[in-house]
This record gives sequence, structure tokens and C-alpha cells, in this order.
Amino acid sequence: MTTLLVRRLAALPVVFVLGSVLVFLLPRLSGQDTALGILRSRTGEADPDPAVLAALRERYGLDGSWWDQFTGWFSALLGGDLGLSYASRTPVTDALWPALGVSFLLAAGALVVAGAVGIPAGVRAARRPGGRADRVLTAGSVLGVAVPEFVLGTVLVLAFAVVVPVLPATGWGTPAQAVLPVLTLAAFPAALAAQLVRAETVDVLGRAHVTVARAKGMSEPAVLWRHGGRLALTSVTSMSGLFLGGLLGGSVVVEVLFAVPGVGRLLYDAVLGQDLPVVQAGLLAIIMVASLAGILAELLALALDPVARSAAR
Amino acid sequence: MPVAPAAVPGRRRSAVRVVAALAAGALVLTSCGGGGGTGQVVPDGRLTLAMAFAPGAGYAVDTDDAFVLSQLGATESLVASGPDGRANPALAVSWEQQADPRTWRFELRPGVRFQNGEPLTGEAAASALNWLAGVPAPPRAVKGVGLRAEGDGPAAVRVTTTAPDPILPLRLSSANTAILAPSAYASTPPAVQGTGTGPMTITRLDGVQSATLQRHDRYWGERARLAEVTATFVPDPAARALALRAGDADIAQELPEATALEFTGGDYANEAVAAPRTASLLLNQSRAPFSDVRVRQAVTAAIDRTALGEQALAGSAVPASELFGPAVAWGARTPAPAADPARARQLLAEAGFGPDRPLRVELGTYANRAELPTLATAVQEMLRAAGIEANVRIGDHDAREPELLAGDYDMYLLSRSYLLDVPDAGATLGTDYTCQGSYNINRYCSPAFDALLRPLATETDPAARQEVFRRASAMLTADAVGVPLVHTRATGVGYRVAGYTVDPLAKSLVVPGLAKTG
Repeated sequence: MTTLLVRRLAALPVVFVLGSVLVFLLPRLSGQDTALGILRSRTGEADPDPAVLAALRERYGLDGSWWDQFTGWFSALLGGDLGLSYASRTPVTDALWPALGVSFLLAAGALVVAGAVGIPAGVRAARRPGGRADRVLTAGSVLGVAVPEFVLGTVLVLAFAVVVPVLPATGWGTPAQAVLPVLTLAAFPAALAAQLVRAETVDVLGRAHVTVARAKGMSEPAVLWRHGGRLALTSVTSMSGLFLGGLLGGSVVVEVLFAVPGVGRLLYDAVLGQDLPVVQAGLLAIIMVASLAGILAELLALALDPVARSAAR
Repeated sequence: MPVAPAAVPGRRRSAVRVVAALAAGALVLTSCGGGGGTGQVVPDGRLTLAMAFAPGAGYAVDTDDAFVLSQLGATESLVASGPDGRANPALAVSWEQQADPRTWRFELRPGVRFQNGEPLTGEAAASALNWLAGVPAPPRAVKGVGLRAEGDGPAAVRVTTTAPDPILPLRLSSANTAILAPSAYASTPPAVQGTGTGPMTITRLDGVQSATLQRHDRYWGERARLAEVTATFVPDPAARALALRAGDADIAQELPEATALEFTGGDYANEAVAAPRTASLLLNQSRAPFSDVRVRQAVTAAIDRTALGEQALAGSAVPASELFGPAVAWGARTPAPAADPARARQLLAEAGFGPDRPLRVELGTYANRAELPTLATAVQEMLRAAGIEANVRIGDHDAREPELLAGDYDMYLLSRSYLLDVPDAGATLGTDYTCQGSYNINRYCSPAFDALLRPLATETDPAARQEVFRRASAMLTADAVGVPLVHTRATGVGYRVAGYTVDPLAKSLVVPGLAKTG
């Protein structure tokens, strides 16, 4: 385990450097004039004065070569300085950390809900493949995967904020305001977790040691949770690492729909305003958080699965 | 004879319940706000706004965030103005061009204090304007005029420009020229909490999520009826509509017309006003085929603008008859001309195009404004009926713009505001339609048109300026310089509110007369 941990952590600096190069290059490869984008986002200017554009390029350090811009940005990054936002001229960290915190809460809440719904549903469906519960689960998980977040979010708002007005439709800051965005985000991972757990559990229940356990008189719920559930949990744990990174970066639709000030909304605004320091820092943060989450999930999965643990040694 | 209730099989009973629940839900939904309000103003009420545009630059007054501040009633400028193009007193009560025509003197309103108690003086006004003129990217209203200001005693400010500027008072009505207290400029961007002069003062800012304001009790004008306003920034129009439905917001800005129409009933104040923005089909006159006026006239005749506004855009825009529409005092009120495909075909034949030599062109546009691809598709069909094959190309406007400005295109569908912050169309006419215009995408060049605009350099009388705008617009129509298709509308819906109006110039929303009703 320790060797594995060291090996995985050793890869992080490489991910950091490659990620930095990527997030620096991608916005610039679009071919758009960043200074013009900044000007338009600030004043809606359609007919820019070349002198104003030149002044903006100088002010924001966009007049040097890409290499100079990259080395300047990267060396500051190594010193913990994410730079100033082009739009607000305030430190990027002032906007990024709170936004990451909001998105982390949102993503963590969605994963908890997804696990709480998906795992028991998958195990229940696996008890009798093809049975009523299994058919309901299959239909539900197809819906959960297929229905886009903006549709599900809208339906939930209509149901719980308009028809039965028990929850707020938008905003962030109170537990009630978190409910609908978390439920909307949870649908997809819950559906996938349920499918995964069902498939794993069906597979495990057909194995010889389970048959032996049953023959020895172990009750059906005990068989299900001790043999099926535990292994299935390993798969879900592995998956959740991938999901956490995805949810952090991919919650743009939910954060815009529910006016949640998370990192998705931050990136949405920054991309529209060509606020490169915010875009770069936001994307890099997501890459690093996703990488760390992946490592943690892998370690957790190994801790849960002794067979895989011995294979990993 | 009584009818016995039909027996419902067990499995279907739950389905019936679901249907019943949905029907009940729909009833509740459609009955929301359907009546029952007293219509009486709630004293010292609280109001929540779902605003369309979040501050993107930390409420920097030199950016478009100034519109948010102005709409919230937090800041004011020296001059006020509306779509009639006339300057009205605000923080300045009067103004006069001096013997040196480059200088104007503004007499300040006596007794005005900023929300934090600092007094409004000539020095304070001057330092605010000089700060604005010195930013790296000055806002459109003051860009390139060489603005400088100095206090003229405690109650006046003198403002000078590089060249005589007949519309300087109108420039100083822009939301960007809001005067903040001197202490505001100690930070970057200038601090906006308690440093404005408006009827409401900002008490709390929560990033791009919300802002809270309270009544400014020492306001120089009419006391605000609202005690507190919370502005939430909800960029998604569907979410704003849902927030209004759910009661999270009392006013929702900029709802799509079709969505706004769902809010019916006496408790809703449903506002839609023509905005000073026109979607026009630009035609490249610097090369064939649109260098031939007959081809431009053929395109003009082929397009049914009424159908575009009323059918293609479902009534969400006003069909345009000229460049300037009903949003401004000098705009055309006449109905859009009817389409005449037969005349279009005749003109094309005269220009040498017909079944044997069909006219094929590219029609470019962009998707940032949702109505443009719809308009492009409808225009394509109308042109086809007149014998013109237009190949629609939807791309990124910023990326395409250099080509457009270089004259490398056929047709382009562009949405453009013709007021650019200052309620005077002189700047747009100059940049977009004169021979030396820096944004002349049509590549139109007429010495007669340039001569027509020349008096705008010195004319200060709004009526005389507006007459020039009218004649310029008529000349552009006669020369078939592109085809103005539709004028956009600004919308908003309020629930149980009084004194609510939508400002087509987007400068005001929370005004002293705005109130919550019971």
C-alpha cells in the first residue's frame, strides 16, 4: 500500500506540469484576441481603439511571447501566486478557493446521495435478476443517465419550489438551497452506481463461496451484504474518485441553473469574459483535485478488497 | 340517472393517482399569482430581484458592472437621460458650454451627500471623472474625447474635452460616469458600498451571487418606498422564470418573450419595451454582387420583416422599417415594408441574375444571440423564394470579425445597439456608415451621407440632432445599405409590485417609486 501510495503521489508533479502546459495553451489555441475579449467583457466594446487594445496587452502582460507569458505565470504558480483576475483585478485565489469549497460540498453531497440511493437499490435488484425491483431499477437508471441535468433540475424546481413550495428555486448559503442542486447532480452517479452494484452483486452471488455460505445456513440478507455488497462497494469507491473530479468541473449546468457560486459558475463566467488567469487556475485546480481524488479512491478500494490488495503488492 | 363510479384495477389506480397529482400540480402552476392581491403598497417593503447580468468585474464602475449599480439605485451620474435623447438634471442641476467651446460647466445640486456622509463637491465630482478618463480601457461614453475635469468652487465642476463636444452632457448621463465618494477611489476597483448617491445603498456584496441594499434615508430626492432590496444574479433565463414562479424573486429581468407570456393575471406586471438594438442583414458593398444597388434592393424586397418579427421570433421583436426603431424618439414608427418577391426577381434579372445564372451567396451569423440563427434560417427561405441561394454559415463572431472589417464576406446578420451608452446615435452613424468609419462593415461610402452628418460635430440642440438622425436613416434606406430586420425588446416581469418599468437603456430599475404590494 505504502509503495503504491508513493508511486501514485510521485506522478502528481508530472500531472501538475503537463496540466499547467495544457491549461495555458488551450485558451490561446482558440486564436482569439484575448485583449479584445477582455475589452468586450468589460465595456461591450464592438469597435475597439487599437491604442486601447495595446494598453490592455501591456497592462495584462499579453504583449510578450507565449514562452515569456508561460514562464512568468508558471514561476508565480510555483510560488503559490495564481495572479490577478483580468476582470476584477483581485487575486484569483480570492474567487477560486470559495468557489472550490462550494463545488466540493455540492459534489460530495451528490456522491453521498448517489451512494445512499444507488448501492442499496443495486443490491436489492440483484436479489432477483429480472424481477420487479430489477426492472424498476433498470428503468430508473436509464432515466437517471439519459435525462439531462437542465431538464431534471427544472422538473425538480417545478415540483418542489413551485407546485409544492417547500424548497428555494435558486441561490446558495442555506441547507435548503443545496437540496435541489445536489439531487440534480446525484441522479447520474446514482444511476451508474446502481447498475454497477447490481452487476457486481449478481456476479458475486453466483460464485462458489457464496453457495457454500448459503449451504452453511447464512441468511439471505447476510449473504447479500457481506459478500455481494462489500465487493460492489469496492467498485463504487473506485468510481467515486473519477466522479468527484468530474462533478467539480462538470457541474456548470447545475451551478448556472441554480445560481450556485461554485467553480463551474466561476469558469463559465471566466470563459465568457476571457479571464485567462481564472480559467487557467480553475482548470488546473480541477485537474489536481481529480488526480488526488482518484488516488484516494484507489487506496480506499484496495483497503476494502483484500484480493486486489495482495495483487497490488 | 346516477352513474356508478367505474372500478379501477389495482395496478392502474396508482397511475390514475399520478395523473391526478400532475393535473393538480398543473392547476396550482397555472393559478400561481392568478389574483387575490390587495394591490396596496406594503410600507417599507422588501423586494428580491432576479437579475440577468451578474457583475463580472467586481462592480468596477468603468465596466458594464456600472449598469448593475445604476439599476440597483446605488449610483447616479451628473446628468440623467432617457430614450428621448434629452439631458435632464441629476447630480448637476444645470450646465452650460463656456466661451471656449471645449469646456462645459456643471452646477451641482446643493446639499447632496454620498451614502457614507461625505459631501458632493466640485472636487469630488472632478476626481471621479478624472479617474474614469484615466483607466486603461475607458468606457464607450468617454472614450477618445480627452475628458478632463476640475472643481470650480464647492458647487460646480468644469469638464473639458480635446475638441468641442456638443453631446458632453449626454455622455455624462452614462452609467459609467457615476460619481462615487472620494474615499471610494482608494481601492481598485473603486469601492461601491456606501459611496454612491442613489436612493439605495449597498450593505452587502456576495460575489456573483447577490447584493443587498437598504434605503438611503438622506437621499436628496424622493424617499424610496422600499426599505430593502436583495438582488440575486441568475444568468439562466429559465431559472429566473422559475425563481419568479417559486416566489424566490419578485421581479425577473429579461425573460424570453414566450416565457414572459406565461405570467398572466392581474398580479403580474409584464413589461416588454422596444430596445435600441437592431438585427440587420449587412451587405458587402465593396465587391460583387452587392456593389450593385439593384441586388441590394432585391434582397430588401425579398425579405418579409413582419413575418420575421411576428412568426420566426414569435412576436419577441419589432419588425424594422428603418435602422432606428420605436425605442428612441427619432425612430421610425411606420410598419415594416411588405415583401415583394416578384419585384426582387425583376431587380435580380436587371442585374443579370436569373434561372440561367442564379445568385449564390454566403449568409454568415453567430449564435451568441439566440435569435440570430433563427432569423438567418428564415431569411434563407425568403431569399430562396426570390431566387437567391444563401448558404448559411454560423460561427464565432469574434473570430470572423477581422474578415468582416476587411470586406471578405457576402452577407452577415449582426445585432447592434445603436446607442452605445449615450442616448445619441451620432457615434454609431459615424463608425458604421461613414467613409472613414472604423466599424463600417457594409463598406458604404457616400460623400453626401458624410456631409449630412457633419453638423453633428457642433450641433447641441437635441431636436436638430435628431432630425439629422432621421434623414441619415432615410438615406441608408434609400441606398439599401443592408436590411434592418427587427428591433429587439427588453422584458421583465414583476409579481405584486408597483412602479415597475423596464428601461430600454438598462440604466434604471430600483427607483424611489418602486414598491411591493400586498
